[in-house]
Amino acid sequence: MSTPFFSNGDYAIEMRNGNIYYGNFRAVRNINLQLKARQITALIGPSGCGKSTVLRAFNRMNDLVPTSRLEGEVLFQGKNIYEKDVDPVEVRRRIGMVFQKPNPFPKSIYENVAWGAKINGFKGNMDELVEQSLRQAALWDEVKDKLKQSGLSLSGGQQQRLCIARTIAVKPEIILMDEPASALDPIATLRIEELIQTLKEKYTIIIVTHNMQQAARASDYTAFFNMDEDRAGYLVEYGRTNDIFTNPQNELTEQYITGRFG
Amino acid sequence: MAAQELNSPAYPEGDALKGQIANRHLVGTVWRSIFLGATIVAIIALVALVYNVVDESFGLVAVQNDVEPEALVRAFFNDELLNSRNTFASENDDELAAALADDPYAIGFFGYAYYRENQDSLRTLRVNGIEPNAETAENGRYLLARPLFIYTAQNIVRQNPAVSLFTNYYLTYVSQEIESVGYFPASESSIAAARQSWIQADGIEVGLGQWPVINPAGAGGQINIVGSSTVYPITQRMVDKFEAAGFAGQINIQVVGTSAGLRALCIDGTADIANASRAIKPAEFEACRSIGRLPVEMRVGTDALAVVVSRANSFLNNVTDDQLREIFTTAETWAEVDPDWPNEPIKRYIPGADSGTLDFFTEVIFDEELSNLPKDTLVEILADSISLGLGRRLEREQRFYADRLVFESQEVWDEVCAGPEPPTGCTLGERSSYNVYELVLERVVNPDVKLTWTLTDSLLRRADIELEMQRQFPNAHLQFRAWLTPDFIVSPQSSTPEFAGVRTAILGTLWVVLITIAFSFPVGVSAAIYLEEYAQDNWLNRLFQTNINNLAGVPSIIYGMLGLAIFVRALEAFTSGAVFGQVEANTTANGRTILSAGLTLGLLILPIIIINAQEAIRAVPSSLRQASYGIGATKWQTVWYHVLPNALPGILTGTILALSRAIGETAPLVVVGASTFITIDPSGPFSKFTVLPIQIYQWTSRPQAEFRNIAAAAILVLLALLLTLNATAVLLRNKYSKQLT
Repeated sequence: MSTPFFSNGDYAIEMRNGNIYYGNFRAVRNINLQLKARQITALIGPSGCGKSTVLRAFNRMNDLVPTSRLEGEVLFQGKNIYEKDVDPVEVRRRIGMVFQKPNPFPKSIYENVAWGAKINGFKGNMDELVEQSLRQAALWDEVKDKLKQSGLSLSGGQQQRLCIARTIAVKPEIILMDEPASALDPIATLRIEELIQTLKEKYTIIIVTHNMQQAARASDYTAFFNMDEDRAGYLVEYGRTNDIFTNPQNELTEQYITGRFG
Repeated sequence: MAAQELNSPAYPEGDALKGQIANRHLVGTVWRSIFLGATIVAIIALVALVYNVVDESFGLVAVQNDVEPEALVRAFFNDELLNSRNTFASENDDELAAALADDPYAIGFFGYAYYRENQDSLRTLRVNGIEPNAETAENGRYLLARPLFIYTAQNIVRQNPAVSLFTNYYLTYVSQEIESVGYFPASESSIAAARQSWIQADGIEVGLGQWPVINPAGAGGQINIVGSSTVYPITQRMVDKFEAAGFAGQINIQVVGTSAGLRALCIDGTADIANASRAIKPAEFEACRSIGRLPVEMRVGTDALAVVVSRANSFLNNVTDDQLREIFTTAETWAEVDPDWPNEPIKRYIPGADSGTLDFFTEVIFDEELSNLPKDTLVEILADSISLGLGRRLEREQRFYADRLVFESQEVWDEVCAGPEPPTGCTLGERSSYNVYELVLERVVNPDVKLTWTLTDSLLRRADIELEMQRQFPNAHLQFRAWLTPDFIVSPQSSTPEFAGVRTAILGTLWVVLITIAFSFPVGVSAAIYLEEYAQDNWLNRLFQTNINNLAGVPSIIYGMLGLAIFVRALEAFTSGAVFGQVEANTTANGRTILSAGLTLGLLILPIIIINAQEAIRAVPSSLRQASYGIGATKWQTVWYHVLPNALPGILTGTILALSRAIGETAPLVVVGASTFITIDPSGPFSKFTVLPIQIYQWTSRPQAEFRNIAAAAILVLLALLLTLNATAVLLRNKYSKQLT
C-alpha cells in the first residue's frame, strides 16, 4: 500500500477506495491512487489486472458498459466525478482519451480535429485551433496540405497522432492513453513517446502500457497492478518510475519488471 | 522437445501422410461440387425465369386488319390520279387511245395489248430505261409488269381427267391466244418448264419430245377455276376454245383475286385450278401440301402496262418512276418535271377507277406507307370511316386543325368551350399528323391480333406458324411484335390488349411506394435507433425485439387484413381524405385509396427495415462511439454524427430491399382493395389505384392469349423497376462507403 507522497492539491486526479464491478464481478478492488499534475504516470501490470478499467474510470468511460459501477470516489478538482450531479460529458471534455487502436472519425482530417471543438461550443477561430492542435500533436507538417482528405487515409502512426490532436483540441486537463502505441511499429511508437514528452508541459498524462521499456523511458511515475486469486485487480506498488524500476519495494514488482511473470 | 514430437508415431508419415492429406482434399472437392451444383441450380432458375418472361413478351403475331393499309393508300393515290388537272379517265381503252393519238402533249397508260392495237398512232415509253417487251416483262426488269400463273395440284391432275386434259390444252395453246387477250406470252422455256411440271404431276409416260394427244371432244367432268381477275381473260379464252373443241363437261370460273384463289385451292380445297397474278408464297405452298395437294405451278404469260404517248410527241422516250409520279399527279406542265421538256400543260389519259389497271399502276408507282400520307388525307379517311359521334368525341379530346372543325359545328363548339367543364380540345393544340395516323390505324385499319406465338416458336418454327395462320386466318398477316414498347409504358389500361398499357399501374406503384417509404423509413429507423442505442436490456424490450423479429415472417395477407380493418374501415375518414376535404369527385374509393395501400405496405416492411437498420447500427464499430464520447460528445451527438452516418449505407440497403418486396406484393393490396381495372391515373394519396403486380395478376387470369403477352411485358417493366431500385441501393451504398474511407 502506497502512502501519499504529494502535498495536498499537487495532484490532478485521485481515486479513493475504488472498487469497480462489472455486474457481480469485482474487476478491481480498493484502489487508492493520486496522480500528479503535468506528469506522466504509467499504469503497468499483467493482462487482466484491471489497469485499463482503472484508466477508464478516470473519465467515466466505463459508464458505456451498462453493467459497470464504481464504489468509492474519483476526485477531480476536489469533486467526486461519480456524484449524481456530475455529467460524464463534462468529465470527458476535461479528461480526454486516446485509445489503443487509432480510431479517427471517417471524416476529413480537419473535421476530425474540429468536431470535438464544435460540439463543445468552441467560439474561437477554428482554423487556428486545428492548426495549433495538429502542431502540438506533431502532425501539422505532414497533413497541412491535405486537411480535406479522410483521416482514414493516414498511416497508423499518423492516425494516432490525429487522435491525440483531436483530444487536445478540446483543451482537456488530463489525457488518458490506453496503450496508444501498441498497434504501431517501433518508429511510430517512438514518435508517439516523444510527443507524449512534449505534451507533459501542458497536460497531465496517464498511460496504460504493456511495454516495460516504454514505461521506464517515457513516464515519471509508475503504478504496478496485479490480480488476486478472485481475478480482481489491485494496486501493488506506486512510485517514481526510477524507484520502481531500480529499487522496487515489492517482490512481485521486481519479478514483473524483470520479466519473470506476466 | 520439438524433435521428439516430430518423431512421434501419433501422426501419419510417408504414404500415410500423403493419403491422409489427399483424403482431406477429397472432402473439400466433394463439398465444392455440391456448392457448384447449388450455384448452377440458382442460375438456371434465374435464366428460366427471365427466358419465360422474355419469350412471352416478344414474338410473331397474326394480325388481321379490318381494312388493309395498302388499300387506303391505293384509294388515296387513285383519287389523286383521277382528280389531277387535265386528267381524263375512261373505262374504254379505245377512247383513251384515240384521244392520246391526237395530242403531242398527252400521256397515258393502259394494258400493253391496247398499245399494240394502236401502234400506228402511239408509242410506248421506256420506264427507268427499260423497253417493255415479252422478255423484260417476264424477267421483271420492266417495272410495270406482273406474271400470270395458273396453279393446280398433283393429285387433282391425277384424279380429275378433265383438269389434266384442260391444263394440257391450256399449256399447248396459250401462247397462240395470249397476245390477242393483251398479254405477253411466256417464253418458250417457261412454257417448257410448265409442261415438264405438268408431266411430272400427271405421272404420264411420254417419250422425249413427245406429247400426249389432246382430244377434248366428248370428254366430260367438272373443273372449278378460281382466282385473279388479271388472269381471268386468258383463262376464259382457253375455256371457250376448249369447249369449242368439244369438251362436254362443266367449267366454272370465279374471279375472287389471287390470294382467295390460292386459298380455295390450298386450304378450302374447293378449287381445281387457281388463277394467280403472283407466285405462290411459301406458306401457301405449305398449306397446299398439308392438305395433300402438291402445287403445280404453270407460268402462262405476263401482263404489262404500257406508258404511251402520241407518235406526234417528240420529246419523251424514257421516264423514271419518280417522274411518273409527278407526271400523273402534281405536275402542271412538262417543263416542271424536266426543264428540257416543253413548257406545255400535261394532259393525262388514264383508265377509270373500276379497272384493275389503275390499281396496278398506283400499287407499283405509288408504293407508300400509310403513315406517309398527308394529314388532310388521313383526316379524310378517318372522317369517311368513323361515326359522327366518335368523330366529335375525338375532336373534343383534341382538335384536328387549329383553324377549322371537322366533325363539330362551330356553334356547338363555342358553346361547349364556354361551358363549365370545357373538354381538353378547347385548350390543346391541333393533332399532329402522326397522331391522326395512329387514330386511322386504331379506328379504321383496326389491326386485331388473332394469334400470338412465343419468341422461341417465332424463331424456330416460322414455317409451321405461317401454315397455322394461313389455315386459321388467311386474311391475316404475320408480323413481329414486341409487346414491351414505349407505348405500352405510357398507355393507360385498356380492354383491348393491343392498346393496353401500364401507365396507370406504374403511377399507382410509384404513389404507393412513396407513401410506404414516407411512413416506414422514418418510423423504422427511429425504432431501430431506440432499440439499439437507448432501450435497456429488460424483459419488455426483449419482448418488443422478439415480436419485431417474428413480425418480419408474418404472411403478407395478414397485413392485408390488418390494413383493411384499420386503414380502410376504422380510419376511413382519414384515408379517404374526407377529413381534409379531399374526397375526389365521382370516386367510390372510400378508404380503398393509395394512402391505405401505402400504409399497409409500410406496416408490412416495417419489421424488415427495423431489423436491417439494427444490424447496420450494430455494425458500427464501438471504437467510433468511444472516440466520440472520449472528446465529450453526448449520446445524441454520437448517434447523430457518427453512428447514423456510418450505418446509413446498411440502413439504405435494407430499406431498398424491403421496398423491393413492397413493390412486388399483391395479396395485401387485393385485400385492401386495389382496383383491377382502372384507366384514370392516380392523382394523389386519396385516389383509387392499381399497382403493377395486381395488373399482371389480373391480365394473367384473362382468357385471351394476348393478355398473357402483355402480362409478360408488364413483368419485364416490374423487373426493370426493381433492378433500378436495387442499382440505386448499390450506388448509394458505394457512395456513402466511399465517403467513409
